[in-house]
Amino acid sequence: MPSLIGSYSLLFGLGCSFLIIFFSIKNFKNSNLFDSKILSFSLLQLLFVVISFFGLILSFVISDFSNETVFNHSHTTKPLFYKISGAWGNHEGSLLLWLLVLTLFISIFLLNTKNQLKDYRILTLLFQQVIIIGFFIFIIKTSNPFNYIYPEPKEGLGLNPILQDPALAIHPPILYLGYVGSSIIFSSALAAMTLNWVSKEWAKHIKKWILVSWIFLTLGILLGSIWAYYELGWGGFWFWDPVENVSLMPWIALTTLFHCVLVLEKKPILTSWVIILSITTFTLSMCGTFLVRSGILNSVHTFANDPERGVFILIFLFSLIFLALFIFFFFYKPDNVKINSFFWLSKETAILVNNWFMMYFLSVILIGTIYPIFLDVISSEKISVGPPFYHKLIIPFLIPFLLAMAIGPKLNWIKSDLRNKFYLFSFLIISLILSSLIIINLKIDFLVNTILISSGFYLFFITTRDFFVHKFQNLAQNISHFGFSLFILSVLFNNIFSSEIITNLKVGETFKSKDVIIFFEKVTKKKGQNYETIIGKFNIVDSENIKQTLIPELRIYNQPNIVTSEADIKINLLSDKFMTMNLVQNQNYFNIRYQHKPFMIWIWASVSIISFGGLISLFKKKHEV
Amino acid sequence: MKNIKLILVFIFLCFLNINQSLANEKNLIFKITKNLRCLVCQGQSVHDSDSEFANSLKIVVQKKIDEGMSENEIYEFLKIKFGDWILYDPGLNKKTYILWLLPILLFLIGGAIIIKFFKINKIK
Repeated sequence: MPSLIGSYSLLFGLGCSFLIIFFSIKNFKNSNLFDSKILSFSLLQLLFVVISFFGLILSFVISDFSNETVFNHSHTTKPLFYKISGAWGNHEGSLLLWLLVLTLFISIFLLNTKNQLKDYRILTLLFQQVIIIGFFIFIIKTSNPFNYIYPEPKEGLGLNPILQDPALAIHPPILYLGYVGSSIIFSSALAAMTLNWVSKEWAKHIKKWILVSWIFLTLGILLGSIWAYYELGWGGFWFWDPVENVSLMPWIALTTLFHCVLVLEKKPILTSWVIILSITTFTLSMCGTFLVRSGILNSVHTFANDPERGVFILIFLFSLIFLALFIFFFFYKPDNVKINSFFWLSKETAILVNNWFMMYFLSVILIGTIYPIFLDVISSEKISVGPPFYHKLIIPFLIPFLLAMAIGPKLNWIKSDLRNKFYLFSFLIISLILSSLIIINLKIDFLVNTILISSGFYLFFITTRDFFVHKFQNLAQNISHFGFSLFILSVLFNNIFSSEIITNLKVGETFKSKDVIIFFEKVTKKKGQNYETIIGKFNIVDSENIKQTLIPELRIYNQPNIVTSEADIKINLLSDKFMTMNLVQNQNYFNIRYQHKPFMIWIWASVSIISFGGLISLFKKKHEV
Repeated sequence: MKNIKLILVFIFLCFLNINQSLANEKNLIFKITKNLRCLVCQGQSVHDSDSEFANSLKIVVQKKIDEGMSENEIYEFLKIKFGDWILYDPGLNKKTYILWLLPILLFLIGGAIIIKFFKINKIK
């Protein structure tokens, strides 16, 4: 029954789209006032999508297996929480979530822009409706979450156990808020172009939307990484996997766009570039959906393969890009009357440099992600592009990037000089000395590391100084940049100082090395709601004589029948201890993997700090100087 | 400034405490297997995987190290056996010129655009 309601309200929702378009066009031509009918229909559409979404959740909760999606992804013994999160843990449901966020955002947009130009609001709504209709048709035609199965099966197939996890339950909604937020930026940029309103006022207004999507995208990526860290049992948090890259690319584009909009807010330069970035950001979000959903990518996260869907998204994506380019070339007339020239040493230049590097990072990731597909298609040769490629191309460029990030915000708009800025230089020396000391002391002979750590420290010191000297001035920017320096430093030290032991142990055996003693005390068996678990108990004594007990688990899920390895992590301010155990076939010993991972918590904290900076900026009344 | 000095000292002390266990030879097998794709898994390296394929490959790599093969020789050996697909590091060869050089080219073009931007501004 909930499925039936959900299914029909999807159709009604689509119907609303046509009504909205009809009234919008009528209103656009005839009146000077915004027709309140349009807003009502938008809210009605949102209501229908919400009903449809709750219909799906309800089907999951009551385990209605006559619904194909529920049958494929749920099971009666699954805990309630994962029944609910299972609703968007699959292809069909996640698209419905996309649609929900799309309609939600456009409603908020309409409610929030009462003071803006009528034509601008209507045009943004129209462009957004084009996207919404595309998604409606996509869902109804190729991935309807409410398909019937007759006769009704008694039991479902269950949800992949690695997806039965709290972090992964909220990861997709948060990430989608970021992805879909970029659709508003896209529609709004098209509307502003058509009306030739790409101005300071527009920049000020769209900056909020950019920030909202940016914060959600940052948090979404963070949650995904945390999940990968503890659930996949390998102790890493980023593997440059195509699906991870696909979420990082819109993030980079958004970050670049945000910095650009800061310039546009001050004076009308870089207008075309801002427009191009707005379009790029949304295109990359859509590409993300396409690459993941079409099954082209070979990845852990891919859980739907269907060429028909891929073709649909591809056609849809190209029509949107075509629409954007059409407007860009035929409607948009940037007035290049007054180009305010600025001196080479100025904040504008610093932002240009930021854009330059960001675009480079983006191109590395983009090319690294799609080149293997491209090569496979034209020459059917398969190559892998993995972490070494990205590290080699990105790390050296991070050095000047970090330096620019420290110095840039210190410069004035239009023209600036470096008098009274002696500390900029002295801090550089301090950072260099400090990192050389660390490197020499710990005997790591790697030149790039030294320089990279120095530049990380440099940014760290400069931003820390600002907290004391400038207090609340430019606080948001300073927090984010500080977070980034902390992030780079934690990742670096984590990389350099991580250590790992892999060994086979039987119950009662002890492993000894000069750093650590691992004693395998016992195993116990327990029963969870939809799995059985084998819990190992390990006593660990590290080199500082600190004793700790780690209890990694092996879970055997009933449906689908999959064994997962649950890591046990002891989190500490300075380092994490991470342990997993695995069955070895036909053997009475377990494969034990023990990792010492310094600064893990600092990586998570620093990313939170980065997005917190965004949050401050969002709620600040006065804009940055 | 005083605060910063304190923080400096603090951070430095923190680092002195980290016990490091970086014996290069021991980590060679980790380093190599991290650069190999587990062919039966989805998006995992041989090092991170516990599949039978990964485990047998770890043994093979260890054997080759014991035989005295260098890192690159082991990669070459595996490349002949399993194809380029197994290596996460696509070396620079005629198949990957575009992959490696296009981003750098774009970077240079970006720089050129910025410089040009200033020249135009100067004239006006």
